[in-house]
Amino acid sequence: MELTLAEERILDGEEGYAHQLAMKIVVKLGEIFAADRLIPITSAHISGASYKTIGDAPIEFLEDLVKNGARASVKATLNPVGFDLHDYKNWSLSQTIIEKQKLIIRLYEALNIQPILSCTPYYFEELSLGDHVAFSESSACVYTNSVIGARTNREGGPSALASAIIGKTANYGLHITELRQPKLLVEVETPPKEYAEFGMLGTYVGRLARDHIPIFQGIRTATNNQLKYLGAGLASTGMVAMFHMRGITPEVQKIDIKECCEKITITQDELNNELHKLSTTDSIPDLIFIGCPHCSLQEIQEIAAYLRHKKVRADLKLWICTSQAIKEVAQEEIEMIENAGAKVICDTCIVVAYLEQLGIKTMMTSSAKAANYTPHFCDIDSVMNTVQGCLDTATTKLKDI
Amino acid sequence: MPLTSITGRSVVSGKAKGKVLFSSEAISFLGGVNPKTGLVVEKGHCLEGKSVKETVLVFPHGKGSTVGSYVLYSLAKNNAAPKAIINRIGDPVVVVGAIIGEIPMLIDVDIDLLNDGMMVEIDADRGIIKLIDA
Repeated sequence: MELTLAEERILDGEEGYAHQLAMKIVVKLGEIFAADRLIPITSAHISGASYKTIGDAPIEFLEDLVKNGARASVKATLNPVGFDLHDYKNWSLSQTIIEKQKLIIRLYEALNIQPILSCTPYYFEELSLGDHVAFSESSACVYTNSVIGARTNREGGPSALASAIIGKTANYGLHITELRQPKLLVEVETPPKEYAEFGMLGTYVGRLARDHIPIFQGIRTATNNQLKYLGAGLASTGMVAMFHMRGITPEVQKIDIKECCEKITITQDELNNELHKLSTTDSIPDLIFIGCPHCSLQEIQEIAAYLRHKKVRADLKLWICTSQAIKEVAQEEIEMIENAGAKVICDTCIVVAYLEQLGIKTMMTSSAKAANYTPHFCDIDSVMNTVQGCLDTATTKLKDI
Repeated sequence: MPLTSITGRSVVSGKAKGKVLFSSEAISFLGGVNPKTGLVVEKGHCLEGKSVKETVLVFPHGKGSTVGSYVLYSLAKNNAAPKAIINRIGDPVVVVGAIIGEIPMLIDVDIDLLNDGMMVEIDADRGIIKLIDA
C-alpha cells in the first residue's frame, strides 16, 4: 500500500500514540484487504456504545485514547446505548449499569463523537452520492450504500473509531466502483408493500446472499423508509452491506444485469414462511415494539395518525423507538402517541436495551431485524407482524382478538 | 527431514516463545474469553475452561462482535493475554485486537502443522514460526 509522507509520519508515531494506533488499525486492515492507498472520509458512525452488549471491555481503551488527546477529525456519531437517558427511572437498573453507561458516553464525547445515540445517522447529515464514509452499524451501512449511494464498508466499531480519528479509511471493498456490482439477481413475484414485508424480504434474502450484493427486480415502487427495513433485514441475517433495486436505487443504471451470475425467485409462499420463522411463539405479547431501525419523522407521523383516537390496552406495552432529534421536531405527534398510552423511547433500541429487567416474556414487532435478533440477545420470544397488525393488537380489547 | 519452521504473514511484529494452545474452532473474544483472567468461558467451546494467558494461541479465525477487539486490549492490560496469536485467516476483529493490545500476530498460517502443547518460537517481524519440539 502506498502511504503519503504525512501518513508515514503518523504511522511512525510523530503525532503521538493515539494517532499512531488509529493509523496502524486502518493501514493493517487495508493491507489485509489489498487496499492500494488511504482515502479521506467525510464522516464516521461508531457502534459499540451499549454497556449491555459491550460491558467493560472498551472502557480502558477509550480512556487511554482520551488521555492521549485523541479526537475525531471528521463528523462522527454514536450508535444507541442501553437505555433512554431521559427516562430510565422505571427500568430497575443498578447504579453500576447507569454509571458505566454514562461513563462510556462521556468518553466518546471526549473523543469528539456526537452522542446522537441512534442507528440512523443518515437522517442527521448531508450525505451525497459518491461520498466516502466509515460506518459501523450494519443497517446504516446498507442504507448509506444502497439508498444514498455514499460508500462505506461494513466497519466494526474499532475501525470506524480509528477512521474517525485520522479522517481516512483504506481504499478497498465498497469504496471501489467495480466492487459495487451485484452478484445475485432476486426476482420478486409479489412485491412487498408494508414496512414489515420489506424487512422480511430482507431477512430471507440475507440468508441466501451471504456477502453478495443482491439486485432486486419486480418491485415497482418503494419509499426510502421501506428500503430502510429491507436493508436492516438483509444485514441482520447476512453479511450484506449493499443492495440495488431496478428503477429505484441511485447506482442501478450503471449495472449490466446480464453479468449477474446467480438468480433466485421469491414467491409469496417464501415470505409467508419467513413470517413464521421470525415468530418463536403465537402467545399474546406483553410488549409491542416498532422502531428498529429508529423511526423517521414520517413513521412517527403515521403512527400518531393511527393512535389519535385510540387507547393502548392496559395489559401490554406499546413502545416506539426513535432518536432524540426526531422526538424534538415531532412534539405534537409524540404527544398524540403518548396520550394513547404508548411510550416513545429514545437513545436505545430493543436489541441493546435492558429488557430482561422489565420482566418481558414475549415481544411483537414489525421489524424483521428485531424479531431475528431479540430471541438470542434478550432471551425473549418474538412474534412478527405488520405495523398495522402491531397497532391493531396494541389497541384491541383482549376479548376481540 | 522433519519440518523445523513454518511461515506466515506478519500483522503485529514482535518475538515470543511459548506453548501452543490449539483451537480447531473459531474464537469470539466478546463473551467467549474472560478479559481479566484469560479463561475461555464459551459453553461447549473446545477450549472451555482453559486459559489463553501466556500461550501461543492458535485458531482458524475470529468470530462474533467487533467489540472482541477491546477484550484483547483488556487481556493485555491485565497481563492475561496470549504471548502471540496465529491464525489461518486474518479477521478484522482479532487483527485490530492484536494491534491495540500489542500482541505479536501472524496470519495466513497453515495451522494444521501445529499441535496443542508444542513449543514454538515466533519471529513475527520476519513471519517465521520455529518448531522447537519438531
